[in-house]
Parts: sequence; C-alpha cells; structure tokens
Amino acid sequence: MSARMPPQRNVVTQSLAQIGACGLFLLTLLAAIPRSFRYLRETIRQLWFVGAMSLTIIMVCGLFVGMVLMLQLYHVLSIFGGTSASGMVVALSVYRELGPVVTALLFAGRAGTSITAEIGLMRATDQIDAMEMMAVDPIAYVATPRFLAGLIAMPLLCCVFCAMAIFGGHLVGVTWLGIDNGTFWANMTAVVDVHTDIVNGVLFKSLAFGAVVSLIAVFQGFTTPPTSEGVAYATTRTVVASSIAILALDFVLTAFLM
Amino acid sequence: MSQPRSSYAVGTGLFIVLGFAALAYLATQTSSVANVHQGDSYTVEAKFTNIGQLKERAPVKIAGVRVGQVQSIALAPGSDVADVKLSIDKHYDHIPQDSVATIFTSGLLGDQYVGIDYGTAKQVVAAGGTLSRTKSSEPLEEMLGKFFGAGGVVDNVGGSYTVKADFTNVGTLSVGAPVKMAGVVIGRVQSVRADPVKLNAQVVLAIDERYNRIPDDSAAAVFTSGLIGSQYVAIQPGGSPDVLKNGDEMILTQSAMQLEDLIGKFLVNGSPGDKKDAGDSKK
Amino acid sequence: MIDPVDTAPADSTLVRIRGLTTVLSGKTIFDALEMDIPRGKVTAIMGPSGTGKTTLLKHITGQMRADAGSIEVDGRRVADLSRQQLYKLREGIGYLFQNSALLTDFSVFENVAFPLRQHTKLPEVLIRNLVLLKLQAVGLRGAAGLMPSELSGGMARRVALARAIVFDPMLILYDEPFVGLDPVALNQVLKLIRTLNQTLGITSVLVAHELEAIKQVADHIFLIANGKVVAQGDPKTIANDGSPWTRQFFGGEADGPVPFQYPAGDYAQALGFAGAAK
Repeated sequence: MSARMPPQRNVVTQSLAQIGACGLFLLTLLAAIPRSFRYLRETIRQLWFVGAMSLTIIMVCGLFVGMVLMLQLYHVLSIFGGTSASGMVVALSVYRELGPVVTALLFAGRAGTSITAEIGLMRATDQIDAMEMMAVDPIAYVATPRFLAGLIAMPLLCCVFCAMAIFGGHLVGVTWLGIDNGTFWANMTAVVDVHTDIVNGVLFKSLAFGAVVSLIAVFQGFTTPPTSEGVAYATTRTVVASSIAILALDFVLTAFLM
Repeated sequence: MSQPRSSYAVGTGLFIVLGFAALAYLATQTSSVANVHQGDSYTVEAKFTNIGQLKERAPVKIAGVRVGQVQSIALAPGSDVADVKLSIDKHYDHIPQDSVATIFTSGLLGDQYVGIDYGTAKQVVAAGGTLSRTKSSEPLEEMLGKFFGAGGVVDNVGGSYTVKADFTNVGTLSVGAPVKMAGVVIGRVQSVRADPVKLNAQVVLAIDERYNRIPDDSAAAVFTSGLIGSQYVAIQPGGSPDVLKNGDEMILTQSAMQLEDLIGKFLVNGSPGDKKDAGDSKK
Repeated sequence: MIDPVDTAPADSTLVRIRGLTTVLSGKTIFDALEMDIPRGKVTAIMGPSGTGKTTLLKHITGQMRADAGSIEVDGRRVADLSRQQLYKLREGIGYLFQNSALLTDFSVFENVAFPLRQHTKLPEVLIRNLVLLKLQAVGLRGAAGLMPSELSGGMARRVALARAIVFDPMLILYDEPFVGLDPVALNQVLKLIRTLNQTLGITSVLVAHELEAIKQVADHIFLIANGKVVAQGDPKTIANDGSPWTRQFFGGEADGPVPFQYPAGDYAQALGFAGAAK
C-alpha cells in the first residue's frame, strides 16, 4: 500500500530528499541509543556479523594492497635510487588514505549490503512488524545495534587492514625485492607519526566512514519497499551511496585533518 | 540454550582483541611512540641562520639517538636568525655548553632534525640556556629541500651595491641568477665574464642596499637549487668587523661542483650530514 | 499482564470501533466503520481481498493511525496512548502474522522465548519451562531446536502461535491463519484456535477467507466491503442473511456487488472500436 510510486521528481530533489530522510533517520537512531543499551547482546551479535565475519576479506585485501603498493613503489623509486623509502611510503599511503578508504569500501560491500538485505527481508517477512507487536522497538533492537556495531567494527577492521598491508609490503619489499630489513622499519618509524597518521588517519577516518556506511545500510534497509525487487534495489543503492559518500567524505576529512 | 549467544560473544571478543592488537602493532612497530611520548624535559635555545625544512616536533638527536624534539620555531622581528627552542629529555642534562647544534636531514626523503655534537666544555647547558654554536641547513641538504617543494623567493631588489668575486668554475651560472644569504635572495648576478689575465671567472654581484653589513671576509659559493635547477651564488657571512662596500672583492669563494659528482656521492653514500655526524661521534 | 477475568463482567465488548475512517494514498479503506468485538469469543472478519482486513488489525494494535474515529481496546483508546502505554497494551495482544514472521536468526525455542527475554528478567529455568509449555500446547516441543528455515508452513504458523500466546494475552489477532496450509495442518491450527479460546478464555479475532473453516470455529462473523460492515451475525444467520453481499461471498459467485472487472474505461473504446460502435 505504501509502496506506491512517489511523484516523479528530478534526480537532484530526489537525492536531497534521500539525504534529508537519512539525516532524520540518524536522529532517530541516536535517540534510540539509550533504549538499545538493554539489547547489548544484540549489539555484540551484530559486531560478530559485521566485524568478525568481515575479517577474512579485510585481511586478504590488506595483504594484497600492501604487496602491490610495494611492488609499484619499488619500480618507481628505483629510478631515483630511493627504494629504501618505499616502506615508509607504503606506511604513509596506507595509513592516510588506502587503509580507511579501501576498508570502508569493502565494508560497504561485505557488511553494508548484508545489513540492508537482512533488514529489508525482515521487513518483507513481517519480522519488523512482529517485533512492534511484541512490544520490542525495532529501531532500538534492529537498527541501532547494527549502526553501533558498524561504528565499532570499522576502526578495528581498518587497523587489521593496515597491519596486513604493512606485512604485505614487508613481504614483497624485504623478502622478495631485497630491501634491507632495518632500513625498511627505520625509515617507517622515523616518519610515521602517531597523531597525524594513526589517530587522525587510521582511527578517525575509519570511524567516520563506519558511521556513514552503517547509517546508509540501515537506512536503506528500513526504507526500502518490502518486496524482493525493493530489497535488491536497496542493496545496490547501499553500495553506490556508500562509495560516493566515503570518497567525498574522505576528501573533506583530508582537507580538514592534514 | 544460550550456546549460540556465548559463541558469538567469544568470537566478537577475539575480533576486538585482534583489532586492538593490530592498532598496538601500528602504533608501536611502525611509528616511534616516542614521537608523542614526552617525559620530563628541559628547554634549550639555539639560533640558526637557516632552518631549511625543519618543523616543530622534529626530533633532536645526539649521536643519532633521539633525545627530544623541536618545541617551537620563531623568527624575532628585526632579527635575521631563527630562534629554535629544543625540548630535551631530563636524562640528557649533561650537554656541554660549547656543543654544536646542526640541522640534518634523515634520509633522502626524510624530515629534517637537529643533531647535537658534544663539545668539550666543563659547563653544561642549563634549562632555558642557549646553544650558541649552531650549523644551519647544509647546502646540499638545502638543495634537496628545494627540489622537494620549497618555493623560490621573490626578488625585490631596490637600490644596490656591487661586489666582485672570482671563481675557478661558475658552472652554468648566468647573469640575473639570484644571490642568496641564509637561503634568502638578497641580490642578483650582474655580470659573468672570464678574466683574461687570471684565467678564471669574474662575477659581479649586485646586492640590495638593505644588506649593507655583510662582513668583508664572507665567502661566496656557487650552488645549484635543486637537482635540475638553476645555479645561484650563496654568501656565507664571515666574522670580520669590517663590512663589504661597493666595488669590494670577495676573497673566499667556492666554485660550482660537478652535479654528477654530488648525486653520485649522495646516492651511493647516503646523506652526507649523517656521514659527518657518524664520523664526528667516532672521534 | 492483563487478566481478562478481572474486567470481563464490566464490559462484554473487548474491542470497540466507532466511526473509523482511513484514507491511504487517496483510497478510502474504511468509511465510518463500526464494530464491536465481544470478549471471550472467536470473531471472524471476512471480506473481499483488498478491503483492508489486515489494515484493520493494524489499527487495533496501534501500528497504523486512523484519520477519524476511535478504537477502544479493553477500555483504552488506542490513539491516545503514549509509546510506552501502547507497548504495554501490545504485551496483552498476541498477533499471528500471515507468513508467521518468525525471527530467522533464532531457533524455534529462542523465537518463543523472545518476548519473555525482552520484557522479563525471569530465570533461565523458568523461561525454559514456559517456552516448552507453550510449544507442547502447539505440539511442537520436539522441534524446539530447529531453525525457522527447517519448518514447514504449518509448523511455522504453530510456532508463531506459541510465541503469540507466551504472555497469556487477552486478545489474539490471527491474520489469514489458514492460507497455504494443507488440510491436516489447517485442522491442527483450527483445533488450536478453538482450544486456546475455550481453555484460556482468550478473545480471538480471525481474518480469513476459508468459509468452511470459519463456520467451524467462529462465534460471530463480520463481513466487510467498501469500508463498511455489510453483514454480521453468527455463522448460521449470516449465511441466510439474503443480502447480495452475503449471497456472493458465501455462494462464491464470480460477479455481484464485488465486481469481476476492476474499474476501467469503456471496453470498446480501449480496443479501438469506438468508431465502429457508433
């Protein structure tokens, strides 16, 4: 009944309406945080699904990103005879950009879509209504725990990603290409700064991305028409909207933080 | 019945532990925690004529070991030297008063740091004291600094006076090239010509009248700005009470070095600053 | 929990609907609907598809708000309740969804235990006993360890029923409880509805189409069409009512007051024979 087509509007007003609705939804989510404290177990369960279950893909991708980055840098820097700096450049580029951004994109694809699809299907199969009927607030029980889980999981996943990327870089650079082990670490430790690179780069950025991705995923799940077609569209929209939001936000954050 | 719940909890707990372990790894193994950790420290002042690319929070090292960091960099109005405050760990409170503070570059692409070479004096620098003997950014380091992003200084020469300087080799120095002191443009090369008698190059430098108190035993050297940049004349002030006047000749000169030599040496040997540092500490 | 015995003598009507009017995206669903659902009885609501029978149930539980009119459940006006009061009221209402709506993440046991875990701090042993008691009542104690995906449609519906009655509600709303069930499962559900009503005195409201099944179980039938109650009474009287609505509905005629054709323009014109017709 409510799945009636909205009046035809152009892309700009439609996007604005989506962003506005998303913002209002965020307020609802935040307002439900105190009520969702009693569902702490649910939050932990979601942390398992969005966080722990994403570990494999994050670790494998981190490893390969570090490896390929090192390979590319080695070839470019060998022109200037600066291969000893490649470990440091791997660390800086991973901490400041690649780590948070790639982790967030993977997170949107792996966890964001599953959140959207799960909530969409819960709506399609009346599970959300059933919760309402059992006097359980679906926002506090379904939406907020997933949002919080995403918020907590992203920085942790990003740390794992970065560690794996460094490991991959080390593997290629030191073990394969023969950069001196001491030089690799020394150049890295000399330049990587805990405040700018790890706190601002890794942690803060990934926290912001985690909030955006999980908000979009939960929002799409809750607002999609409860049909199989609607769920399919919402899942796609989660990936598209998350990717755009991550990259745009990355630019803004970089401009402000660096 | 709560079997599935507790297994989630264990798995999630493992995930969180792994995440924090990764964070700890990043923070301790790939960066020096000392960069933020600052124990009890005392402050020492040092004045540099040219700080190059030195930044706040850059490390201060003795014999290559980190002992503190740069607290602040300031240029007092009316002064031509940078006032750098070094915050040094309390453990290292026996720095002789005649120790030399030098600005080095760590590695090819590395940031600059302040190295302290111990002197021989019995007195030590007290908190709030000054290290009077300093060495500024070295030419090659400065040169590389320029190559990696320092902008050129806009020339604003008003009235000027000329001095002469003889070089055995001016490289590709051309008329109009800048004359710099402490890295700042103070004038222009007015003419470059070969002396038919002395068989060397005679260069006439036009220097801004504002800089009319350059000691007459100052040295002039031909340097290159950047690996592929143009050459310029650098003036290193001497200590004489007499100043250069219009038409004077500068006695101490250093000619252009072969760029190929420099780069070859650099890439083979690493930073000459580090080299010298290590050599000094061995003595 | 609300004990129906305390208040029952005072008012024999549990749900009182007065002048209910609802318009959804331009379509009038209810037009000044009036309905009294008696306490302790099995009431069936019938009507053509799309007349908003499910919507009516959602109005009773406060999931949807009416544009005009009032609904009183056990003497409380649903529209006036705050969120917390509404949730309090819902703890006294069981709702059986058309597609069972079991939580797919949880086992059968956890599904039935879900409302208990959310609203009480009962010890695990007590929860276990309560859940097994309800599962025994629907005959599925042996399926406690299964996941919802492993259940047949009829079993899932019985689990959902066990979940709906775990709080011993005063009112159960059944939304299409017979759809898609084989005759055996249908009779099992039918028996459960009857038993629950008789042994626990739970007021039951059924939304269904299956005439034969309803005749066996219902004490009172409402026939809704065009947003109004067009006929009501016990199964015997309503069948002999004689109005065109009941004739079509109970006689199963294809055309009648409920048109076979969805409203459309002139047929000949749509086929392009407009000129030829003249």
